[in-house]
Amino acid sequence: MKKFVHFNARTIDEAVPLLRRYGKKARIIAGGTDLLGVMKDEILPEYPEAIVNIKTIQGMDFIDEDEGVLKIGALTRLQDIAESAVVQQNFFALAESARKTGSTHIREMGTIGGNICQDIRCWYYRYPNNRFPCLRKGGGRCYAIEGDNRYHSIFGGSVEGGCYAVHPSDTAPALIALDAKIKTTKRTVKAENFFSVGVSKTTILDDDEFVTEIQIPKPPAGTKSAFMKFARRKSIDFPIVNCAVLLRESDQKVQNVRICLNAVYVKPYRPIAAEQAMIGKKLNEPNAEAAADAAVAQARPLEHNGYIVQIAKTLVKRCILPCSS
Amino acid sequence: MAKKMPGDYERIQTEGMYRIGADVPTIVYREIGKRGVKRIDGYEKASGKALYTRDIQLPGMLYARVLKSPYARAKISRLDTSRAEALDGVRAIIRYDDPEVKGRPLNGSYFGPEWVCPDLAGWALKPVHLVLGDEAWYEGQPLGVAVAADDEETATEALKLIDIEWEQLPFVLDQEEAIKPDAPVLRPGAESNILEDPRTRIEKGDVEKGFQEADKIIEFKAKRRAHLWAGAELPSVVVRWRGDNLEMWVHSQQPYHQKMLLAEWLGIPMNKITVHVPYQGCSFGGRGNPANNSENGMNILASLLSKKTGRPVKFLYDRSETFFGESGDMMVSHFKVGAKNDGTITAVHIKNVFAVYMCTPGIEHLIDNTKIPNLLCESIVADVSIAPAWWCRCEQLPNCFCLTLIFDHVAAELGLDPIEVALRNDGCDGKDTSYLAEYKRQHGFPERDSLRECIEAGKKAIDWDNKWHPPGTKRLPNGKMHGIAFTWDHQWDDVRGTGSAAVMIENDGSVSIIAQHADIGVNPWTTYCQIVADELGVRFDDVNIKPFELDSGFAMMSPDGSCNLVSNGNVVRKAAQKARRMLLELAATKFEDVKPDDLEVKDSMVFVKESPEKKMTIKEIVAKAMPMFDSCVFWTEAPIVAWAWHTQGLWGEALETGRPRLCRQAHFIEIEVDTDTGQIEVTKVVNVNDVGKAISPETVEGQMYGGTYMGLGRALTEELIWDKKTGVLLNRNLLDYKYATMLDVGPIETIIVETGMGHGPYGTTGIGEDTATIIPALLGPAVYNAIGKWIDDFPITPDKVLKALGKA
Amino acid sequence: MKEEQSVLSKYLCPYCSEVFLDRESLKTHVIKQHRSEAPPSPEGMIRVTINGEPYELMVEPEWTLYQLIHDKLGLTGAKMFCDRGACGSCTIIMNGRPILSCMTLAIECDGANIETIEGIAASKHPLIDAYVKHHAMQCGYCTPGFIVTAKALLDENPNPTEEQIREALSGNLCRCGTYPQHAKAILEAAEKLGKGD
Repeated sequence: MKKFVHFNARTIDEAVPLLRRYGKKARIIAGGTDLLGVMKDEILPEYPEAIVNIKTIQGMDFIDEDEGVLKIGALTRLQDIAESAVVQQNFFALAESARKTGSTHIREMGTIGGNICQDIRCWYYRYPNNRFPCLRKGGGRCYAIEGDNRYHSIFGGSVEGGCYAVHPSDTAPALIALDAKIKTTKRTVKAENFFSVGVSKTTILDDDEFVTEIQIPKPPAGTKSAFMKFARRKSIDFPIVNCAVLLRESDQKVQNVRICLNAVYVKPYRPIAAEQAMIGKKLNEPNAEAAADAAVAQARPLEHNGYIVQIAKTLVKRCILPCSS
Repeated sequence: MAKKMPGDYERIQTEGMYRIGADVPTIVYREIGKRGVKRIDGYEKASGKALYTRDIQLPGMLYARVLKSPYARAKISRLDTSRAEALDGVRAIIRYDDPEVKGRPLNGSYFGPEWVCPDLAGWALKPVHLVLGDEAWYEGQPLGVAVAADDEETATEALKLIDIEWEQLPFVLDQEEAIKPDAPVLRPGAESNILEDPRTRIEKGDVEKGFQEADKIIEFKAKRRAHLWAGAELPSVVVRWRGDNLEMWVHSQQPYHQKMLLAEWLGIPMNKITVHVPYQGCSFGGRGNPANNSENGMNILASLLSKKTGRPVKFLYDRSETFFGESGDMMVSHFKVGAKNDGTITAVHIKNVFAVYMCTPGIEHLIDNTKIPNLLCESIVADVSIAPAWWCRCEQLPNCFCLTLIFDHVAAELGLDPIEVALRNDGCDGKDTSYLAEYKRQHGFPERDSLRECIEAGKKAIDWDNKWHPPGTKRLPNGKMHGIAFTWDHQWDDVRGTGSAAVMIENDGSVSIIAQHADIGVNPWTTYCQIVADELGVRFDDVNIKPFELDSGFAMMSPDGSCNLVSNGNVVRKAAQKARRMLLELAATKFEDVKPDDLEVKDSMVFVKESPEKKMTIKEIVAKAMPMFDSCVFWTEAPIVAWAWHTQGLWGEALETGRPRLCRQAHFIEIEVDTDTGQIEVTKVVNVNDVGKAISPETVEGQMYGGTYMGLGRALTEELIWDKKTGVLLNRNLLDYKYATMLDVGPIETIIVETGMGHGPYGTTGIGEDTATIIPALLGPAVYNAIGKWIDDFPITPDKVLKALGKA
Repeated sequence: MKEEQSVLSKYLCPYCSEVFLDRESLKTHVIKQHRSEAPPSPEGMIRVTINGEPYELMVEPEWTLYQLIHDKLGLTGAKMFCDRGACGSCTIIMNGRPILSCMTLAIECDGANIETIEGIAASKHPLIDAYVKHHAMQCGYCTPGFIVTAKALLDENPNPTEEQIREALSGNLCRCGTYPQHAKAILEAAEKLGKGD
């Protein structure tokens, strides 16, 4: 790799001023499985000057249940989340999404903070040496629109003029379905508000800000959650579509439901119409089917990704059905 | 294609090199065919001690890289390397217009250097034949500038500092577009994008007559998209000069060819080049094209840079640069088949349009192993703006693709069991199995019906009789559609290859096989030791092979074309037989009143046949048989070293070689299709291969399931994807070019059949390429059986399944 | 900018990161609080244990752990196959976890306990013989990565099921297609370990 300056930050107070000083020329590194790929391929118009390691900051690697709120440090490894009995028990969608992320090695290195903050995987964006200086990198156009968009967004582009790359995280939709909050060095926001459709960023984070903790309220008794991922291979691959559902059924009716799809849009996608289609209804196949149809009703597929609509619909239905009490 | 000289077959037959007839065993098999023989390379590979070319480091070594074209079709109009040359740590640069390389082409072809095959130089290479040119014919083509620097990062950085202006030219990616009259012509001076190939039209009998005799005419189209060998080890070469001698460590299947080609290009004699062949991290043919930039070109540039700097140079590619050499089976084909209601096929007409290169035309196996009398194959090879294509496990892909799809379409259309159709049409060159039976009888082969045996074994293993069903009719309890399919072919290759080796009995009685050979994982060395052990009469543990460092002039057949073991088996057998003769002659002098023929060798012991209590260990016999000894205290005896050369035959159709393919193979597959997502799950594969004789059964099984794994990847997930607007190859990495992980492959059952009807030593045939080549197309019939729709567009991805079902 | 940097590096305690207004205060603090501690590593130095042996190494920030181990230390067992974290061939065990050395910066490994295939082989781990016996290799290029991953699995789960083995190894690619053989080898090694061989 090309040279850069490296800092092993020992505290948040050491890390933040470094980020502030270098501005857009600094990057934090956690697991490194995304960032090192970005750097080896030199995909960005400007190579990072400084890398700030936050793994050396103590106190950000934990899973604690505390007064009805599950708190997970941003540096907690995905493998630990997948294997945690607490998470599997009450927050199944998160354990499952962590388990389905990448491969064993990726999960032993990758952190939950890194997973939700990771960069997009569009193959034009990721082509080495900035071969396609696209909209996202300050250039003029989205190459996927006129090119091969088989893995791109089915719900249109980003708000400010058309990046069609999808958000690749598996844990993000689970966190949103579980109504999680994301705590950063500056603020705490709801998970669904954490992700941005800005052209050049995938989250609302400022350049000198990073995630420190995830907080998930323990769902009331009788709530179930599910997560499913569709990818070409059963390991290593990023999702083509994934889906997380949180659902509480009682008195034979759906009392509460949260659905989140990802890898279908520039940020995780909550199909509110699908949720509304289930509230107060019986949890059965026809209703789940109707909800699934509603989930993709707004889809505007591109030339090569129409098949994703069908798969997204299928995942929504298949995530709803197992959630009966 | 290669032009044989008239009389070649007759000549080698007369000299006794080329045998037609069964190989009647003359020895007792003790190691041959045994299970549990320990792999010679096993410990080194498992412990991390095995060294590959990429691991080699020499003191003072520089790292070299080459510039690549970012455009599919472009010329360099201005090149300024001053910034690169000024970078700290850059030690040498070669530009395309430097005198050492200017205008000089890569030499030779797969078949050898120009002085050996002048009519084939540059074959299969497209106009990309300059070692370092200024014109690109595909995105990613190495050209322009090569740099040697203190480390890899500096070499990479230097390439980025090159100031370069390009003139972009029109390109075309699609082979059907390329042959349209308005397509831009890619080759300078050419009239169209249609490439010459002597196999453009292959005809037997009269297809029109055949169609008239048919009860049914079946027509369909099929498409096979680009895929790649994508090997594990990244290509590299390490070169250093020792005076005017050149020493190199290569990543290559054919190291001997590397030597020849380099000698010719550099103008130095072959006896001044030493080639080391470390362990090879995969090859599959990808490191078996000595004439390409990635091998020949890399070696030449590394040698020049090493000469310029006076230091060893490691020339390397990173992973994104390894996406050269697609398999030569990128084809769009139209089929017209005539068949009778009982499944007898009366005529086949295939029309192909290939991209870049046609490795085989698609009709050849219908000639090799069916009785179909009327065949016509018309192929167009269209030049398109992608890298030169090659033979990647293996060149028979189009032949197997066509055979499987034809047979399974016929069966489906007639409502017949595909096994019936196969058995009904088995034969050779338009003649039925009675011809083959007669051939077996005449030439001393066991008279077994290989296809039937393979089918019976496979049917049982997959429970065909209970599981086969009409298409689109079986939905499983899990909601998925069940599919099951079958295909067959002949087992290749037992009719070609050439090699040489020596067998030496060291003077402690241990035995060395001396020859150079590239190990790409097919466990050949263990097998050669098994053969030598049995032929010589020694214990397996007393035999060893030391192929890396020994650029001894003996070079075994490369692991190519599934004919590696067949050729080298004969080579080591002959050498061992000669060594045995020498041993017995020496041994006879150690006993009283004994002639060599009175002696026998077993378990490294020599004994008198009539009175076995009269024995000596080989060690005792050869105690004084040594190549060199310091003192003159006692009389030393001549060392026991014998060498042999063998040519198994020439490339050609089985009939032309006088050796029709007698062995067959049968493959079965079971799948589940999720009709809501389009995902295909392969739940079971049964491979049945009649290898004639399995010298190392575990190795044979390894090739069977390894090939199936590769075949499934090719069928389902492996595809090279180019951006239509720019001609850029989008998935130049192993995340986006997908081959199966352990979770993606279901159970594969491998069944070895041994009929002894191979033309190789001990009745063997080849195995290395078969399953990888046959399995890909089998997914087509499997999907048809599952959902009742043909998707003859490979790889069969979920979007295609959903489209076929009307859900996308 | 330069001044800001000098403020940060001069008055920040290298042991506990406490910040001081001037040099004297920092000096007093260090003497009082950290007198008995070992001096902090100079920048670019990492102290690691590799296969049980301690190392003190000066590394450049941009070196990956793979480059350090394979190129600089000559432990060539770990291999470069995809170089982007998608194949598992560069796997080493760090602090008990199987990780991808090509996607790890060496400079971030201070204090780590590292095991490579060479150490596993030197300790005569039953996996080695089991892999050879079951032909769980062909060209052998991916084999060290598999064995290291398998060893990490057995360390954590001495009696894995075949399903658990396949999931644990699903990040290791093999182009030659040796997949069916790995579970057999690992189950045999697990049995040998269980017997205390």
